[in-house]
Amino acid sequence: MIRRSFIILRRSLRKIRFKIGIVISLVAIFLAILAPYIVPRPQEGLGYVPRDVEARRLLPPSIEHIFGTDSLGRDLFSRVIMGTRTALLQVFIVITISFLLGLLLGAIAAYLRGLVEVLLNYFTEIFMAMPTIVIALVLRLTLGHGIHVTISSLIMTWWAWYARIAYVYARGVVELDYVILARLAGLHSLKILHRHIVPNIIQPLIAQAITDLGSVLLEAAAINFLGLGVQPGYPEWGVILYESVFYGGGVEVFTQAPWLIVFPGVFLLLVTLGFSLIGDCLREEIDPRLRRRWRLWF
Amino acid sequence: MTISLNYIFKRIILALCVIVGIVVFSYVLILATPGDPAVKWAGNPRGPGATRAVQLAREELGLDKPIYVQVAIFMYNFFTGNLGFSIAYKGLPVVQAIITSFMSTFELTLIAYIISVPIALYLGLYSALKRGGIFDSIIQPASVVLASTPTYWLATLLLLAFTISKISVYGTASPRLIAETEFNTITGSYLLDSILQGNVRVFVDSLLRMIPPALAISVYPIGALTRLVRVLVAESLLEDYVKASIALGVERGIIIRHFVVRSIIPSLVQISGLSFTYSLIDAMVVESIFGRRGLGSLLISALNTADFKIAITLIAFIAIFYIIVNTLVDILQAIIDPRVRL
Amino acid sequence: MVLAIVMENLKVGYIIEDEVFWAVKGVDLVVEEGTTLCIIGESGCGKSTLASAITGILPPYALTDGKLKLFDHVVINGQLRNYNGIRGKITAYIPQNPGTSLNPFLTVEEHFYYVLRSNFKSDREFSKKIAMEILPKVNLDSSVLEKYPHELSGGMQQRVIIALALATNAQILVADEPTSFIDAHLRLQIIELLGRLQREFKKTLIVITHDLLTTSTICDYIAIMYAGKIMEVGPREKVLRNPRHPYTKMLLETTPILGVKKRLKPIPGEPPSLGKEYQACLFLDRCPYKSKECYSDPQIQVIENSHFSKCWKALEAPWL
Ligand SMILES: Nc1ncnc2c1ncn2[C@@H]1O[C@H](COP(=O)(O)OP(=O)(O)OP(=O)(O)O)[C@@H](O)[C@H]1O
Ligand SMILES: [Mg+2]
Repeated sequence: MIRRSFIILRRSLRKIRFKIGIVISLVAIFLAILAPYIVPRPQEGLGYVPRDVEARRLLPPSIEHIFGTDSLGRDLFSRVIMGTRTALLQVFIVITISFLLGLLLGAIAAYLRGLVEVLLNYFTEIFMAMPTIVIALVLRLTLGHGIHVTISSLIMTWWAWYARIAYVYARGVVELDYVILARLAGLHSLKILHRHIVPNIIQPLIAQAITDLGSVLLEAAAINFLGLGVQPGYPEWGVILYESVFYGGGVEVFTQAPWLIVFPGVFLLLVTLGFSLIGDCLREEIDPRLRRRWRLWF
Repeated sequence: MTISLNYIFKRIILALCVIVGIVVFSYVLILATPGDPAVKWAGNPRGPGATRAVQLAREELGLDKPIYVQVAIFMYNFFTGNLGFSIAYKGLPVVQAIITSFMSTFELTLIAYIISVPIALYLGLYSALKRGGIFDSIIQPASVVLASTPTYWLATLLLLAFTISKISVYGTASPRLIAETEFNTITGSYLLDSILQGNVRVFVDSLLRMIPPALAISVYPIGALTRLVRVLVAESLLEDYVKASIALGVERGIIIRHFVVRSIIPSLVQISGLSFTYSLIDAMVVESIFGRRGLGSLLISALNTADFKIAITLIAFIAIFYIIVNTLVDILQAIIDPRVRL
Repeated sequence: MVLAIVMENLKVGYIIEDEVFWAVKGVDLVVEEGTTLCIIGESGCGKSTLASAITGILPPYALTDGKLKLFDHVVINGQLRNYNGIRGKITAYIPQNPGTSLNPFLTVEEHFYYVLRSNFKSDREFSKKIAMEILPKVNLDSSVLEKYPHELSGGMQQRVIIALALATNAQILVADEPTSFIDAHLRLQIIELLGRLQREFKKTLIVITHDLLTTSTICDYIAIMYAGKIMEVGPREKVLRNPRHPYTKMLLETTPILGVKKRLKPIPGEPPSLGKEYQACLFLDRCPYKSKECYSDPQIQVIENSHFSKCWKALEAPWL
């Protein structure tokens, strides 16, 4: 399996799209780790309002403030760069937990069959239908502000997708001869799950997870953008947009200060794009249907 | 061709089971989240009437009864539309508030799909047929970019552009026009309402105002469906029957129109249905940016007034819409495809 | 005598991950107008590839060499391929799997309409008329016209495809294992149908098969293919009675022939792989009669009029 993953990686690396995706993601990770050390005003990046607010309110981009300042005089560059960390953190936590939960539940359901299978399918069906942002609204009303609202409302819907995919693949594997034989021979169930089922379904699931990184990032930002997640002032791109669109005076303000909208959005777009490019190339390599070559030849 | 009702029947029963599950889950969500559900159900009331409101809510919810009775009562109320009144919309019945808002969002999403599906079909088809050509090498990365663009950001940029160029796109329709022509909302869909009232001016105005938000919403389906169509066309070009008809001398145009396009339509319908329900969520966000009436603005006012009732009903409502659309699309796909002997 | 098909050192390969796999490795073959030729060989020896080359459905990543002429059209000349005015006009193709070879979204009538409209610019009514004339010839009645392919049985689907091929008026029909997806008891029926239609319409018919038993009843000539080359070709009786290649001989021994009781012997060994270039006779590894000279590529040996073999020992034929 590791060998195959390596081959897939090497093949993908021939594509320019994949390289662009990798570069964008690496830069994002780099910024996320080093953000507090490279931005000029880390305190403002975390939401603290400078003392001379009045003098520094809504300054256009300049050498001192590369991306300009917001309506509370904070340096937008610092906020946006610090936001990279939140963005990656949200995405990473949501995908990891949903992935593990889905993998486990899907594999178990396919393996045990019977009532467990029926119940799991029923629950995935229900949770796949759940509108994430309205769940976020309920959590926000009960739990108050915070990144945990964004993360938990996303996990609530995303796990079901992985459970579904894992289940579908695992069903195929469970019916393979050698798995049936292993079962008849009395091999321990955990061992079968660990040795035969999980390795066989993990690869498409990982490709799916990588493809989903971008969607999760966009959804997380959307939740924060509606003011359902983190508090205003938090270093997060969605909430920076929220502050300028809904909070900081509405249309009048952001027509005067378009940089408030442009910069966080561009970062959001670029990182999403980077993730999508990687996921796309990997899927092309894994799914043989996407690898076939054709040309209009008749 | 006869479609046996058996499949449709099964699909509907399954959908109904899931819908029941969704309603139960919504109720459980109230109970499971911290805090007194009665207080929440009453919408976190403050001030003099608070104790009375909480008491009423407790009775309304029947919190003293066993849990399955509570669930049954909630379900009964939900399906009979008897959900009390909304705080967010100043005393409007919850069901009415949700349905009129939904109509407005639905209408916007529908317009976005009327724009995007044909475009996606065209772009995907031509980039697949001209694989490796200039058109394809532009469309392929462009579709990834389109599918990765944050809809709400694009909507904000559009609003910015229109505001700077002094074209009014804010709101569902011009308030002055509404006052002048004595337009009133019936269903919540302005297009439908203005047709019902024979009000051409409001119709044109609201259609024009719909274009920028619809464009923002359509960016994701254009990107995603273009890529889907490209893969489907590629697969269909490799089908045996395409090869066989080429060998019989069937013209290229006929093969593309009647063999390739026709064979991808069932899958396209299915995936469009699925993504339609996501775009509905996108539409909610975009709407609130453009200050339009709809589920998005309902959500924001539910947030501002801590209206739990709206929030919970909204979850159930949207989830049920999702299930219904998917069931319909599955059935529709089966009807289009002559191979599916149901 | 008019020649319908002329192949001169025809080679066809597939480019897979930047490597060329030659499936057809230099075939010289001539088919007269109005005759039936049977191409027989093991799975993977390049029969379908040869059929695709004749009917113009080689995939875009195929590579060609040599020359292919259909009547007076040069279709393949080195790497150039030009099938303008060939598909459906001169050649028609009867595919292997009737189940997947009809468009599931179209009725039989629409199939006729699209084929006839493309080839003769005919309208719906006229194509329906033609279809009604042709269907009885393949033992189908006109009620199938409204049906979708999945509503027909495998044998009916195959006959619809044959009817479509007839409707094109193409002179050369290429049937690629027309019976392999059909129930055993229907095979003979389809083969006899093909034979009858060939005689009635004076078509040139190429039948590809590994089912020697049924197919050989209708053909005039038999070509034996092995690993991308034609090993022996000649009139049916001559090849069956008087095989001049050890592979033919062994192939006949694996096949039950009607009315003759004998023990069936499998051929030991595996055919050579496609990727490599061979200097020696391709059958070398599996040949029980090999000797020194077999390490060089055999020249074509003329046994008698229109009976050829690619074996150094064809004239002595120690296996007879
Ligand atoms: N479209 C293709 N792409 C790549 N390789 C192919 C293609 N078609 C055939 N081949 C390869 O070319 C070789 C010859 O295949 P071909 O289909 O011509 O054999 P065949 O004699 O028709 O076999 P069968 O009796 O199984 O149909 C095979 O090794 C096959 O793997
Ligand atoms: Mg074949």
